[in-house]
Amino acid sequence: MTADIVLPPIHRERLASGLQLIVAERPGIPLTAARIVLRGGASLDPARRCGLAHLAALACRRGTARWTGDQIDLAVESLGAELAAGVDEDGTYFGLSAPSEVLPRCLDLLADVVAAPRFPAREVERLKRREIAALAHDLDEPAVLADRAMLTAAYGEHPYGHPPEGRARDLLRVERKDVARFHAATFRPDGATLVVVGTVGAEEVLALVRRRFGGWRGGATELPAIDSPPSPRPVVLVVDKPDLSQVQVRIVSRGFARRSPDYYAGMVASAVLGGGFTSRLMEAIRVNRGLSYGVRSRFATSAAGGLFYASSFTKVETAAELFQVALDETARFCEEGPSAEELARTQSYLCGLFPLSLETHDQLAERISDLTLFGLSEDEITAFRGKVRAVTAEDCKRVAQAYFPVKDRLLVAVGPARAIARGLERFGPVEVVPARKVT
Amino acid sequence: MGSASKLKASPAGVLDVDAVRSATLPNGLRLRVLPERSAPTVSYYTFFQVGSRNERLGLTGISHLFEHMMFNGAAKYGPKAFDRVLEANGGHSNAYTSNDLTAYYEDFSAEALPTVVDLESDRMRSLRLTEEALEQEREVVKEERRLRTENSIFGLMEEQLEALVFLAHPYRWPVIGWMDDIERITRADCEAFFRTYYAPSNAAIYCVGDVDADATLALLAQSYGDIPRGPVPAPVPAGEPPQRGERRARVRYPAQAPALLAGWRGPPAQSPDAAALDLLQVCLAVGEASRLRRRLVVSAELAVSVTISWAWRIDPGVFFVFAELTPGVPLAKAEAALWQEIDRVASGGVTADEVRRARALLRSSVLHDLGTHHGVAHALGQSEALLSDFRQAGQALAQYAAVTPRDVKRVAREYLAPERRCVVELQPLSGKEATR
Repeated sequence: MTADIVLPPIHRERLASGLQLIVAERPGIPLTAARIVLRGGASLDPARRCGLAHLAALACRRGTARWTGDQIDLAVESLGAELAAGVDEDGTYFGLSAPSEVLPRCLDLLADVVAAPRFPAREVERLKRREIAALAHDLDEPAVLADRAMLTAAYGEHPYGHPPEGRARDLLRVERKDVARFHAATFRPDGATLVVVGTVGAEEVLALVRRRFGGWRGGATELPAIDSPPSPRPVVLVVDKPDLSQVQVRIVSRGFARRSPDYYAGMVASAVLGGGFTSRLMEAIRVNRGLSYGVRSRFATSAAGGLFYASSFTKVETAAELFQVALDETARFCEEGPSAEELARTQSYLCGLFPLSLETHDQLAERISDLTLFGLSEDEITAFRGKVRAVTAEDCKRVAQAYFPVKDRLLVAVGPARAIARGLERFGPVEVVPARKVT
Repeated sequence: MGSASKLKASPAGVLDVDAVRSATLPNGLRLRVLPERSAPTVSYYTFFQVGSRNERLGLTGISHLFEHMMFNGAAKYGPKAFDRVLEANGGHSNAYTSNDLTAYYEDFSAEALPTVVDLESDRMRSLRLTEEALEQEREVVKEERRLRTENSIFGLMEEQLEALVFLAHPYRWPVIGWMDDIERITRADCEAFFRTYYAPSNAAIYCVGDVDADATLALLAQSYGDIPRGPVPAPVPAGEPPQRGERRARVRYPAQAPALLAGWRGPPAQSPDAAALDLLQVCLAVGEASRLRRRLVVSAELAVSVTISWAWRIDPGVFFVFAELTPGVPLAKAEAALWQEIDRVASGGVTADEVRRARALLRSSVLHDLGTHHGVAHALGQSEALLSDFRQAGQALAQYAAVTPRDVKRVAREYLAPERRCVVELQPLSGKEATR
């Protein structure tokens, strides 16, 4: 597990329009993954129009100059393919997974969907209604509610401070012309990347992509730079859902951007604290106390900043205990850092697990395209093990002290406020909001 | 059923079951090894032929609770050692319990194989079941039940539906068990459970990846050969009286909108109709061009989502349709549209194009599943557990190729008849009603 990861040969090319192509030819199951990533994503949502980028991505496949939305659905699925569209805070994505023999036809559809959507008003209005209805259903998912509340409370007014799916009240304001304008301004080939991975000949794919995507132009305006986000507000946010018998818990602090030099040390430190089944949090919360079924910590890293957070859940009666145990363990880790055995075990675990996350063509295409969004190359993949192995106990301790939630931290609890709010006062000023105010 | 030859004619890279080396040890343990060298990793699955169908009232949930106990130490590797040793060797593990089976897996770099075999054989030979570990896992499982059932709308509805579909069969109770039973299970229950259901005679091992078949079979024989065979498990009471009319239940719970869960008892996995129902599932609810999505979500906007779950089981399982309605839509209206669409298939059938679309999507899905060592090992184990033959894992595409539009219509008419359906309605409570 010390060996470098070996990738299939990577072919790259940049079209005159600026579109970057990356093709990796791989043997195996006769499927191919193609993924387009465009810069921007939900962080480009205008004020009072949260969810516009998301809606635009979905609306792209609802009709082009050549095909109606229904025809696109039928064509894609009849070929045995899947076409997904979505956004996160930094990018807009179109992911295609198809039998290799139908790739030419699928790329044809993909190019049309990305570069030439027509946004029929009827379809945009219908999608809007569906997305608003879907957001209402999110209120019934305690874990989704906790994540949404966390994002908003942690980032505040920053462009990362709203869920990529948007807010119902904002989506109501979006009109067809907003969607069309957003597409015209932000869907641009320069800065976009198309990654193709599968049992396909690289030359053949490159030729195909040149033909299909060669005519794509657009997006004249420069995308705005995103400032680094502020630190999360140090409060205890109780999202009141009186009916729950189990509380969803999030413990949050400021993290770092994906390109931060602390990235690998942070990943290792977080894995020791709250990664796999043997992490400190898992042992303290699940194994020693039976307080929860699961607990995890992670750094969520974006282009302009990031968060560290631990997430778990426990019955109403033990919500304060779980917070206390998690915070105590975190503080202890910041003082001690990992033991030599913990560090070595965690490094082996991360290095062993990594190739399994690249096994399918879709996984590799996603990994490479995500890296391009941060201006990183696939060297990050091949050098992964070396970088993880190079992290020292001292590095872990340093990043833990810099980022883990010890002093300034945001706590989020979704559950019955009447039963839990008072018990959480010892962690800081408590703010109670009803669940319906979160979306 | 289709013939195996069709699969052989399909593109290279799809599962070749003839390459699986198999053996059965004198203690009954079945060994299946498939060398596959595309990546330097190995997936190692252990399947035990026990699930909630082998339980009885009063001890529901023991299969699943027991699965948790398997990670709490044995004679050689004590408490907390299993995952530590595995992770230190660059591997990871998990497990799941279903109605029919319990499966454990490890995915790891090939050089860790001897360690994994040592860990797995240690716990099959000499698991330590302590009171302390049982009490702790009991609390963990109760949290799992709170997460997946008691605080989940779908979980609440699913539990009601299974109890409607089955009157007599053990599929009636949830895999995680009733809360009272989880409280009641004792260490002695666990000991007896282990002796019977975790004996090598009730288990099979699937090892797929960068391994040498002969050396691996020898290693397995050496590591597991001394574990004694167990008693023959008690037969499962598989009877179920015929259903003579619709059955209905209502869940009242705080929610933004109503939801609908309908279910019909289908055929057992062994039936050729199981594959026809896979195609029906895709025609009805997989993909944007499926009938229910087009009608309920797109054109009439009655629902935000509609999904079908049809999982093959040893005994007749359930064909579920779940729809989350658009806020404000009356349940009766969505229900009427759903019944109308199902009736349209049952009386008018589906077109050849619809079946072609379904086959194409299923083929891609099978290829996806067989694209990793993990997926192949699981497919072999699941086929043997449900169909008594791991070779069936290579038959899926041939089975789908053999299903005709007429078969799809017939299974819709036969299994999804109105008098055979069970319905669970979610009736949303407003916040005020809920806090009273």
